[in-house]
Amino acid sequence: MSGTQNESGAIGAKGGQTAGSSAGLADPNHPENSDPVDHRAPLILGAPTFHAITEVVARPLERKPTRGWWICFLTSVAMVGVLGVSIAWLFWEGIGVWGLNNPVGWAFDITNFVFWVGIGHAGTLISAILFLFRQKWRTSINRSAEAMTLFAVMCALIFPGIHIGRPWVAYWMFPIPNQMAMWPQFRSPLMWDVFAVSIYGSVSALFWFVGLVPDLATIRDRSTGLRRKIFGALALGWRGSMRHWQHYEKAYLILAGLATPLVLSVHSIVSMDFATSQLPGWHTTIFPPYFVAGAIFSGFAMVVTLMVITRKAFGLEEIITMKHFDYMAKIMLVTGMMVGYAYGLEFFIAWFSGSAYELFTFKNRAFGPYAWAYWTMVSCNVLSPQLFWFKKVRGSLVWLFVLSIFVNIGMWFERFVIIVTSLHRDFLPSSWFYFRPTLFDVSTMIGSFGLFFMMFCLFVRFLPVVATAEVKTVLPQAAAHPPQAPVIQFDEQGGRDATDGRFGLAPGGAA
Amino acid sequence: MTDHAHSSSPRPVVLASSLWLPRDHSWRRFPSVGLVLAALGLGASLVGGLASPAIRSQLWHSWLVGALFVLSIGLGGLFFVLVHHSTQAGWSVVVRRIGENAMATLPWMALLFVPLLVFGMGDLFHWTHADAVAKDPLLQHKQAYLNSTFFLIRTVAYFAIWTFLALRLGALSRLQDKTGDHNLTRRMRRLSAPGLILFALSVTFFAFDWVMSLDPHWYSTIFGVYFFAGSVMAFFAFMTLIALGQQVLLPRLVNEEHLHDITKLMFAFLVFWAYMAFSQFMLIWYANLPEETGFFAQRLAGSWRPMSIALALGHFVVPFFFLLPRTIKRSPKASTIAALWLLAMHALDMYWLVMPSLHVGGITFSWLDAAALIGCIGVFLAVFGGSLRRQALVPLRDPRLPESITFENV
Amino acid sequence: MGLLRPSLPPGKSFGALAEFADPAELYHACEAVRDAGYTKWDAHTPFPVHGLDRAMGLKPSRLPWVVLVMALGGALAGIGLQGWVSTTAYPLVISGKPFFSWPAFVPVTFELSILGGALGAVFGMFAMNQLPTLYHPLFGKTSFERASDDGFFLSIESWDPKFDPDRTVELLRQLGAKEVELVHS
Repeated sequence: MSGTQNESGAIGAKGGQTAGSSAGLADPNHPENSDPVDHRAPLILGAPTFHAITEVVARPLERKPTRGWWICFLTSVAMVGVLGVSIAWLFWEGIGVWGLNNPVGWAFDITNFVFWVGIGHAGTLISAILFLFRQKWRTSINRSAEAMTLFAVMCALIFPGIHIGRPWVAYWMFPIPNQMAMWPQFRSPLMWDVFAVSIYGSVSALFWFVGLVPDLATIRDRSTGLRRKIFGALALGWRGSMRHWQHYEKAYLILAGLATPLVLSVHSIVSMDFATSQLPGWHTTIFPPYFVAGAIFSGFAMVVTLMVITRKAFGLEEIITMKHFDYMAKIMLVTGMMVGYAYGLEFFIAWFSGSAYELFTFKNRAFGPYAWAYWTMVSCNVLSPQLFWFKKVRGSLVWLFVLSIFVNIGMWFERFVIIVTSLHRDFLPSSWFYFRPTLFDVSTMIGSFGLFFMMFCLFVRFLPVVATAEVKTVLPQAAAHPPQAPVIQFDEQGGRDATDGRFGLAPGGAA
Repeated sequence: MTDHAHSSSPRPVVLASSLWLPRDHSWRRFPSVGLVLAALGLGASLVGGLASPAIRSQLWHSWLVGALFVLSIGLGGLFFVLVHHSTQAGWSVVVRRIGENAMATLPWMALLFVPLLVFGMGDLFHWTHADAVAKDPLLQHKQAYLNSTFFLIRTVAYFAIWTFLALRLGALSRLQDKTGDHNLTRRMRRLSAPGLILFALSVTFFAFDWVMSLDPHWYSTIFGVYFFAGSVMAFFAFMTLIALGQQVLLPRLVNEEHLHDITKLMFAFLVFWAYMAFSQFMLIWYANLPEETGFFAQRLAGSWRPMSIALALGHFVVPFFFLLPRTIKRSPKASTIAALWLLAMHALDMYWLVMPSLHVGGITFSWLDAAALIGCIGVFLAVFGGSLRRQALVPLRDPRLPESITFENV
Repeated sequence: MGLLRPSLPPGKSFGALAEFADPAELYHACEAVRDAGYTKWDAHTPFPVHGLDRAMGLKPSRLPWVVLVMALGGALAGIGLQGWVSTTAYPLVISGKPFFSWPAFVPVTFELSILGGALGAVFGMFAMNQLPTLYHPLFGKTSFERASDDGFFLSIESWDPKFDPDRTVELLRQLGAKEVELVHS
């Protein structure tokens, strides 16, 4: 009943069915397993059985965590402590503990907010948009990516909450009847953010949980004692009934269809925090799609960072394969170039508009006091992902890990550059000033990373990291009724159009 | 080993010679019908329009609307083929030829722009008038970009890029029909990835040059993307119609799954267009800066206002709810209606973009609008039809063709 | 019906449970059971087998309608809330924009309609599946634990008019079941 496992936890294909076609041969009835043009490796390596997938994903939950996990977990808990202290001090003393000033009223706080929301978007893209595009490779990473989304949104929501100065009246942001008969101002993009990001968090959580239910049932059925009771309750009594699966799949498809415009709209609304203003460098119509592309860019980079570590730590190399990294790197290349396109266009239109303020803003970004931040951003976001054109780079875990971190550094700086450089020198030179972060700006940021990694450590400890039910559907032996492709027979009659002379068709072509 | 009894039944056989447009098919008449429409439409327009200076400006504006409409469909086709190759798509192989035939029109679209370049610049573009530029510091500032020579060079460059990509990818695809060489798929992919970058830049700046500069004081960074979104949606609407025809011809190859995917993409780009249009509108409305609001102020004044509302409702709200149900997307009749409607809406969009710079106070329809549009459609139809006849309807020896025929939607 | 228990008629025997070797066998078995006229039966798989709903003769799910209604409800709530607050409850003059600024109301309205749709999809689906149902006769069988791992099962309830302990079990054996058992409630 159990597949063999060697020391490193690799999947062995003992007994049961083997893959429908071996790597390298084109099988038109199992296209997900190999490609006729590139003879690439199959999506899931090692030709595992269904049970082997269950085993390799469930085992880490059922044994004691490794020393590596404890190191990661305790370090991130310490960072969460730093976050707690930073926020407590902030509430006690006020916003003055940060480096904010006039005119730079937003800096690290909103940079971090947009950064974290952006990272969350890749999770939804992988879950929802890649599902709609029928990209089967998403099944290996979507569970972790969706979890990443939830934790990123948690980190993001901290910042609008703590930066308002009087956090004890934060409830004023919500449309709750109160004794002052006061209501929120709905024409403000900051209000739209409240709705957008919290709805994004809720819907992502629902989507994540719905996806988890079958896997929770899997863990339930393997467990005993307290774990069985807890997972049993959470699995809601799921019994794999096809009648249930039918509604379930419909719900999943609808959630994917809803989550897609949600992703696009949420980061567009976040971008409108800036674009609805009149500030040069902030007010430009391309912000919504530009921010969305940037969010996907940074989010995928974070997924790559996390997956490089996770797959090694849990022995999942045959489920999260180099092919998956290849696709993720290509998506990073495409979205990175969209971001670069937006940079170029902003510059062009800044000149084209003839507005002296616009042109100054962009010249100031590249050559003013924050030039160091600007060029970090450009080299990390535009230059470094160009390396992903090269197959060798896409196939090297070291390069993938390093470049993914560079991309996230670059994307953090992009938000910093947009916010701070546009604010610190706007219309009136007498108001110009420089922003310097204080210790607490930095500690709050580091603390948020701690929260993110702590949640992720807890996730990998207690929940299945891979969507086992979905991965199983990708295996060749999952097909019950594979359709038959017609055969195209090349007959002697050849071309039918008189304008095209001879059309030399040989019988029995190279199909 | 389990016994799959069903897999031993013989696979249906399709003769390659049946994968061409049959001799008696009505679509064989596309080239001749197209040429007649072109001759009548463009001929009448030229004759009537050049009669007097007052009407001449109307002629070039109407001609531009028609040219933009058909060009955008060709550009959408090019985009589809570029993405298909770059992403190594499997499902769309069987319908890729539709995109290839559409993009084959691109070199000929250049001919449509020649009269505009040679004769129409003065009537279309305010910034070509030296006396106007001399009085306007803003136009003087933009002169480095908005001058006739550079404009001409850029337009030539755009069409050169599109022609190169369209002809090269088309040739490689036709070659693969003969040889079945897998290397050709790799070559098409290697060309398409950088091709997408060239496509993005050329379409963006084409939109800036030929549409945005109609009002040279105005600017919007998203404008190129907005034009692109509408173009791709229009192409998928066109593709829906052609694919439905091919489904009738080749029922074993093109099935409801492909139709569903194409209408899904038409729907998706409809939503994307609306997202671009709304972002542009909302941000300009919200900040209320005079240098930006002129564009919308003009289109919300007088009789332009109802047209703007009609565009919002007809180009987005109505088709969105109509195309939402899965059954509609899979129904040939409903998809045909939706596709024709969206093509009409796209033409309206082009009209709404261009005409307010001519008819500032309110809408003034002219017979030239119809004549020029029909003429341009005729040119497109003629070239598309010629391409349709000259090659097989599906890429015969594409290695992913079997995968394309058998996929199923969720 | 107890919230966590399935609504089943009283009786000692739940029905027959058959295990099959792989999805293809289960698929053919389902077609046969459907064609034999059974109505109270189900298949159990660790993942949704493609095409199995057709093999079982299931009607398409009605969930999309629930989602549509909930999404429209969300949109109405969004426009209603914002419109009422901005024009009646607490009108504020913000940079000269009209009180009912519909462009500014679009984002929140859109988000609320998505939320409505999502809630409809998730809770509608759970309601249609009558989940949570923590207790079910099939959980009594240890072999059934494989249904969430790598086992493919078919269960026919004894309350089906065509059910007969011997003939139904024989039919399932003929369809290639590895193992057929009778399950008690």
